[in-house]
Amino acid sequence: MNASGSRGAAAYLGATLALAILAALAFAVGRFPVAVGDLLGAFGAKLFGLAYPLPENVETVIFKVRGPRVLAALLVGAALAAAGTAYQGMFRNPLVSPDLLGVATGAALGAVLGIFLSRDVWTIQAFAFAGGLAAVGLVYWIGSSVPRHDPLLALVLTGIVIGTLLGSGIALLKYLADPYNQLPAITYWLLGSLASINPSDLVAVALLVLAGLAPMLLLRWRMNLLALPDDEARALGVDTKRLRLVVIVAATLMTAAAVAVSGIIGWIGLIVPHAARLLVGPDFGRLLPLAMLLGAAFLLAVDTLCRTIAAIEVPPGVLTAMLGTPFFLWLFAASRKGW
Amino acid sequence: MLRADKLSFGFPGRTIGAGIEFTLAPGEVLCLLGPNGGGKTTLIRTLLGLLPAHAGSVHLGDRPLAHVRRQDIARTVGYVPQAHAGAFAYRVQDMVLMGRTAHMGLFSTPSDRDREAAARAVGTLGIGHLADRAFTEISGGERQLVLVARALAQEPGILIMDEPTASLDFGNQVRVLGHVRRLAAQGIAVLMSSHQPDHALQCADRALLLGEGKAIELGKPQEVIRPDTLKRLYGVDVRIVDNTCLPDYALRQ
Amino acid sequence: MGKAATALLFFAAFALLVPPAAAQPARIADGANRQVVVPAKVERVYAAGPPASMLVFAIAPDKLIGWTRAFRPNEAAFVAPKYGALPELGRLTGRGNTANVEVLLAARTDLVVDAGSVAETYVSLADRVQQQTGIPYLLLDGRLDAVPGSLRLLGKALGDEKRGDLLADYFESSLKDIRARIARIPQAERPRVYYGRGPAGMQTGLAGSINVEVLEYLGARNVAAESKGGLAQVSLEQVLAWNPEVILTSDPNFYATVWKDARWQNVAAVRAKRVHLSPHLPFGWFDFPPGANRLLGMHWAGKLLYPKAFPEDLRPRVVEFHRHFYHQEPTAAQLEALLGEPGVLPK
Repeated sequence: MNASGSRGAAAYLGATLALAILAALAFAVGRFPVAVGDLLGAFGAKLFGLAYPLPENVETVIFKVRGPRVLAALLVGAALAAAGTAYQGMFRNPLVSPDLLGVATGAALGAVLGIFLSRDVWTIQAFAFAGGLAAVGLVYWIGSSVPRHDPLLALVLTGIVIGTLLGSGIALLKYLADPYNQLPAITYWLLGSLASINPSDLVAVALLVLAGLAPMLLLRWRMNLLALPDDEARALGVDTKRLRLVVIVAATLMTAAAVAVSGIIGWIGLIVPHAARLLVGPDFGRLLPLAMLLGAAFLLAVDTLCRTIAAIEVPPGVLTAMLGTPFFLWLFAASRKGW
Repeated sequence: MLRADKLSFGFPGRTIGAGIEFTLAPGEVLCLLGPNGGGKTTLIRTLLGLLPAHAGSVHLGDRPLAHVRRQDIARTVGYVPQAHAGAFAYRVQDMVLMGRTAHMGLFSTPSDRDREAAARAVGTLGIGHLADRAFTEISGGERQLVLVARALAQEPGILIMDEPTASLDFGNQVRVLGHVRRLAAQGIAVLMSSHQPDHALQCADRALLLGEGKAIELGKPQEVIRPDTLKRLYGVDVRIVDNTCLPDYALRQ
Repeated sequence: MGKAATALLFFAAFALLVPPAAAQPARIADGANRQVVVPAKVERVYAAGPPASMLVFAIAPDKLIGWTRAFRPNEAAFVAPKYGALPELGRLTGRGNTANVEVLLAARTDLVVDAGSVAETYVSLADRVQQQTGIPYLLLDGRLDAVPGSLRLLGKALGDEKRGDLLADYFESSLKDIRARIARIPQAERPRVYYGRGPAGMQTGLAGSINVEVLEYLGARNVAAESKGGLAQVSLEQVLAWNPEVILTSDPNFYATVWKDARWQNVAAVRAKRVHLSPHLPFGWFDFPPGANRLLGMHWAGKLLYPKAFPEDLRPRVVEFHRHFYHQEPTAAQLEALLGEPGVLPK
């Protein structure tokens, strides 16, 4: 008990520290040059009402552009990692990502449709959110209506099939889209980016992510029992069908909200839970907070690089894979346990 | 404590067995015997309320099982399945702690009392040295003991075990059956399925022979386990000598 | 009559009665320097994309068999009804898509015309389609400077050299005039411009990108020109750092956002109210489609960037361009709709 307890504590401490440092750094760097003095002065003025003369636009940059983007990176990273953790436990499979039931593909179809119809940004995001929810709703409805011995397998297969169908819808829209105007916009959306975040997006995403997180945190002990075969969990007193539904709804809310504002950012929901599990084991109560910390820190690091390396933005999906893979391989080699 | 009344059981759309009747009393060990595919596991799942009865009923105490909430069933009946590997490396003590879920609120996490009950179960089974090990890394026999401890942590009045000695070596079989007798001596009712008639003869108070979709025999093992009933169940010829089944090839002399 | 007179009469009759030698197929070097044999009589022409459509339509509108995308009603109002109703034939997708190639054959196409990039990829596409169908394929360079040459070339191929030359001269002299005016503007008076694409305006064209060819032709300082390339995504922070003096866009959603979003308010262009939306009927003026239609965009953007160098009213120019290229002058109401849309011209 002590050995793993202290290992868990060290991992938490490390992750929190890393997050704090990254957040401070993220505020300090960016394409708009902000001197450290101005940065501190701006915070001083905002928090303590100190008078501090700021060059023009600095306040806008720090609190309305960079600030929301940093917070969004933390929220999206945490949400994707949490959803991935929940699904991996629920489907008893470490190779599962939050998009298993089609939420990201559904959101992508919604957004692509919005772009195809030349809508404004808010409508595109709303379409994306609705698309994600609708896709999972459809998968769940079909998957649980088909009488099968293994309810999880039914969900997975339905998710794959519907996901492919939605993907073909996206391909069709890309084909029909105006190649000069809509198609580039579609391509950029699909590559994912936090560049268009604005403060009102942030509020909506935060609320939805919290709405999804709350049940997961409250039910964190029972979620461990989903790792057991269905019969055993039920025999131990858990209503597995209802618990699974709650987990799916929660994970879908979080992921749909994240994808609606950031596009498709892969890899975080799949790999960050692994890394966290290698550090603290599969107990959901310990795993979930650490996975969220790691996911938030990781996406923040990646997004900060994406927006500072060059004048043009690098798609975050590219960097998440490039940076995450060596880190994960190192972690995997250094640990001797199983998942 | 656990009563089956003219019970018919099976899968949705397919009835496998019918007319099962027995009452399990505290401190009693009832051994369920039958061939592969004969319906032992399905009957067990029906007795646990995991599958609905096709006809007749199961009673827990004096309440029909269908009217008891899953959580309440779990406080009374402990289920010990066959040992499996599991996908994630939970520690043994966490596995045992999972048995306490029935006594915990919906949003609770294990309390000190839960940890104590789990520790007691671990102690009873003598697996304290495994507490910190990963469930996926211990041997099959050790895993089976962990699953028994988990069921014990539920502080149940009834234990239902599905072939608890399958895939165990001889030593572990002896240990597990020894624990079964000790638990019965403490007042727990045990229903145990097995594919070894010897276990029923040596360990059980009563045996239920399940074959051809019905209970062929129910009674003291020495009385119901006979060459003719074994022939009906398994289709082989054996002799019973000293509470042991001896097939032909064992009788070379 | 004498023998000589009779012989002369016969000779004259003979000369008059025998038809002139049938026109020969011409060997034309297209915009990618491919040698293409164009038949003597070209009646049915397929244009592979909007830039090509515009060129063919300008020279020989009756020979165009269809548009790549059907006109919407508000776009079709700018051309004669019979042209607006031409069928939609789709684009040549460039992967040997058999459906499109069959469409070419089914429509009894005499000539395929394409305008745009003359890079290796498109040269090989042209060769492949030509080989597959036996229909000659002219590939033209879509850049602004190459438009006069393309018009002359097309005039020859479509059998109306006069018209091709007329349009080419008109285009060329317009370009010359613009260049001359630009040359007189000192660097200090050339504003820094950001061209925002997409509904949030977060994509832009880098140096050398065809999306900002008009800007670069006008000698404006594209804030994104520090990098070379095509389209790219940028962050709002980067745009704030650039602090452009003028913002241009073709996206009405972005145009609306810029005025409402608090984060854009301190950008120099927004404070000076120098944010403008490009007209888009029947074809966009500024960026897409990247064809001859951008001549109007140059006058429009020139007026916005250098009001003193481009003081004249845009209306006569629009009328003249439409007459040449769309064969129909816009009505007064249509002109007002085009130029009066919010954001097109400064108040």
